Amino acid sequence: MAFFSRRRKKTGPADAKPNTRDSGQGSKKQIAQSLLLSPDLDENLRFLKQSFADCSDVVFREFLFAQREQIKLALVYVDGLTNKSQLSDQVMRALSLEIPAATDNTVITKANALHYVKMRGLCIHQVKETENLQEAVEAILSGDSILLVDGHATAVINGSRGWEARSIEESQTQGVVRGPRESFVETLRTNTSLVRRKIKNKDLKIESLTLGEVTRTDIAVAYIKGIVNEDLVTEVKQRLTRIKIDGILESGYIEELIRDNPLSMFPTVGHTDRPDRVAANLLEGRVAIFVDGTPMVLTVPHFFVEAIQTPEDYYEQALFTSFVRLLRIGSLLIALTLPSLYVAIISFHQEMLPTPLLLSIAAQREAVPFPVFVEALLMEIAFEIIREAGIRLPRQVGQAISIVAALIVGQAAVQAGLVAGATIIVVALTAMASFVVYYSGSLAFRLLRFPLMFLAASFGLFGLIAGLIVIVVHMTSLRSFGVPYLAPIGPLVPGDLKDSIVRAPWWAMIKRPHLVGQNNPVREASGMRPKPPQTTAQKGGDADAGRRQN
Amino acid sequence: MPEKGKIDSKQAVLLMISMILPTAILTIPAVTVKTARQDAWLSVMVATLAGLLIARLVVSLSLRFPGQTLFEFSEEILGKALGKMVGFLYIWLFFLYIGSGVVREFGVFLVTAVMPATPIIVFLIVVTAVAGYAVRNGLEVLCRFNQLFIPVTGLLVIVFLLSTLDMKLDRLLPVFDAGLAPIVKSAVTPTMWLGEIVTLAMIIPYLSKPKEAHRVAVLSILITGFFLTASIMEALLIFGPNLTGHWIFPTFNATRVVSIANFLERLEFIVIMAWVLGGIVKVGVFYYAVVLGSAQCLGLRDYRPLVLPVGVILVALSILLHGENIVEVLHYIPHVEVPFLLIVFEVGIPLLLLIVALVRGKGGKSN
Repeated sequence: MAFFSRRRKKTGPADAKPNTRDSGQGSKKQIAQSLLLSPDLDENLRFLKQSFADCSDVVFREFLFAQREQIKLALVYVDGLTNKSQLSDQVMRALSLEIPAATDNTVITKANALHYVKMRGLCIHQVKETENLQEAVEAILSGDSILLVDGHATAVINGSRGWEARSIEESQTQGVVRGPRESFVETLRTNTSLVRRKIKNKDLKIESLTLGEVTRTDIAVAYIKGIVNEDLVTEVKQRLTRIKIDGILESGYIEELIRDNPLSMFPTVGHTDRPDRVAANLLEGRVAIFVDGTPMVLTVPHFFVEAIQTPEDYYEQALFTSFVRLLRIGSLLIALTLPSLYVAIISFHQEMLPTPLLLSIAAQREAVPFPVFVEALLMEIAFEIIREAGIRLPRQVGQAISIVAALIVGQAAVQAGLVAGATIIVVALTAMASFVVYYSGSLAFRLLRFPLMFLAASFGLFGLIAGLIVIVVHMTSLRSFGVPYLAPIGPLVPGDLKDSIVRAPWWAMIKRPHLVGQNNPVREASGMRPKPPQTTAQKGGDADAGRRQN
Repeated sequence: MPEKGKIDSKQAVLLMISMILPTAILTIPAVTVKTARQDAWLSVMVATLAGLLIARLVVSLSLRFPGQTLFEFSEEILGKALGKMVGFLYIWLFFLYIGSGVVREFGVFLVTAVMPATPIIVFLIVVTAVAGYAVRNGLEVLCRFNQLFIPVTGLLVIVFLLSTLDMKLDRLLPVFDAGLAPIVKSAVTPTMWLGEIVTLAMIIPYLSKPKEAHRVAVLSILITGFFLTASIMEALLIFGPNLTGHWIFPTFNATRVVSIANFLERLEFIVIMAWVLGGIVKVGVFYYAVVLGSAQCLGLRDYRPLVLPVGVILVALSILLHGENIVEVLHYIPHVEVPFLLIVFEVGIPLLLLIVALVRGKGGKSN
């Protein structure tokens, strides 16, 4: 504290300048924020060195301006976060060696050095000045370098960020057969640029803010002005600025902090690592939240039907997509209910099975020592273990483990008489079905299987139905940023069914989804359904050939 | 206002249909066929007409007091003390009575038809708890939930179509065998069922377009009446009046007959599903009416604290008030329940309220 107060006294009158940045953030912070640079270079360096004491990755480089009058300059940056070759070529070489050639007629003195440094010397695109030490420190920490000029209480922030980063790769979580391959990476700017490249429009707004008291993580809120509902943007920003947390390492932190129903198992905030999906969401009037340091971008509002949608749906034929969507819905239902249905039917409602099937299952189960509920539960848990192991285990041992698991869960368990073959089929089908929809979308169903199995074992089909009713009632009560989660099915929005359980061809999807895109409902011109040309349709190739000859 | 949600007219129609239809389909055929024999389908048609009149009465009354439920406008019409008394009568003798009756029917049906070894209280509690959870989430959620599950009720149509293979038209003959009297007489029970449209008076204030209330009521009654007639005809055409009168749940048995290519059979589970879902919606609507009405009578700002206690009361009443077994329940419905509920709560009090409102000049102009 003593140090701070001394510095404040020194800076004197400059201190009286109103500092509007981030005002009202608590008194301690205000002191730090109002710290201003001193005209004395050594003073500034001393302060920075003290701030970055024991930070071995911060580099202080002092050098002389190439002038007759000795003007000292200093460059401060974090090693590894900046592009060093850019710094040496475009900052140091330019300032210490090349500038005299361009300015032979003017005498550069200490007084006008800053102007020349900035306007003629630096060969860097993004340059910003600040008089605020805190801002300078933050700039250094986020990978920019700052240039201090002796005699000026101003730091020049050079946009020279450049660090080792993963290159853009194919999406690991949502692969497609047809469609763009690229996926987001860990760098915020790269991610926003991927979306910007898809939506070349000035109305694509990307607002940024910083969250996390310690990590100072960059967050960007993207939306398309004119399509998005402005209230939604305000709501998103309001919920984001509410967050006071030490660090944000992944967008999952934010997801849990801005959800409507914090305790629900169902995700009411979407996330994806695919730029095309984000772009499509933005075009429908949603808001995307980018978080630095993670490839997962959040999109709100998020509907339940998005669990059965993939980006590929919109690139592949509409009819085929509709078939696949129905398949996915079926898979969801299987993933949720098949084990409990099996338990209920085998324990209570044997009459529902055709007699030959019943006999065959009964014969299989003859040797099994457990009730069907225990048997199914054991297998389900075994499968969950295998699945979890599959994610965590080192890649090298993967193959060995999967063979062992397959043997244990499959052949051996049946031969040992621990479980019936039918149970294995049920469990395997359930497991496969839960992978058909995208990963996070099926998490809730993975969990809910177990209480449903319990209900089915206790009350049979009636228990299963009662459980399903509770689940559906819960789902209908959910909202994502004010929009019903189960829309367009409950509440029914007939116009939006075109892109829910089926997908209409593109020429028929004239309007955006009603609940998110009602601000600007029309997406495309109507009447674009392709038709064969009316006059020359019959002649076809001949007519074309004739035209070409003319 | 304890309820903030708004529902649209379609949702209201669907809600009314699944409130009335699934329970009616299961119970009504046996009751009407006993007295009206092969003309039972005609008495359901008569009942539909009567139901339309009741709907007209209730909606006219309700629309005179926009934004007010049955409980609020009865206070405005009759004054505070009398109005509250009417409110309490409705809560205890109508909504709770029918609500607990449905819960009981639920339990009896499941114990009789599906799981005979399970104590009935288990079903009563589970049903009430599920409905209570929906009620707690509000009218909007109840409607959306219903909207999601109504296709299951729609599957009944397919079952009906599939069962046409076993039908014989001459089982409906002779028409008017015993004259008009038995037809009208046995129309009373279905009228009571359709008259449950009185509950609409609790929902009209929350319609996004209250002006469409008449259409909502008429559509609900017509659709319900149509399906009810169809289900009775299905049972009659397959079994004839003698057998149908013997069955406890003729519609249920009628779907058991369906067998196509030895593969598509045992479709009665669709009936059970429709019935379970409809039953829960029905319990939910009456439960909701009780809870909302009590909150309004007591002047509470939120009805949610009442959900649990009312649920306990529902379960208790369903054990205390209603018949021990299915035969008793089915005997009770036409002989005790119907005249009382129909005359007093579905026609009597609303008519009285309308007359008093007209005489005292209360409320806005009715359309």
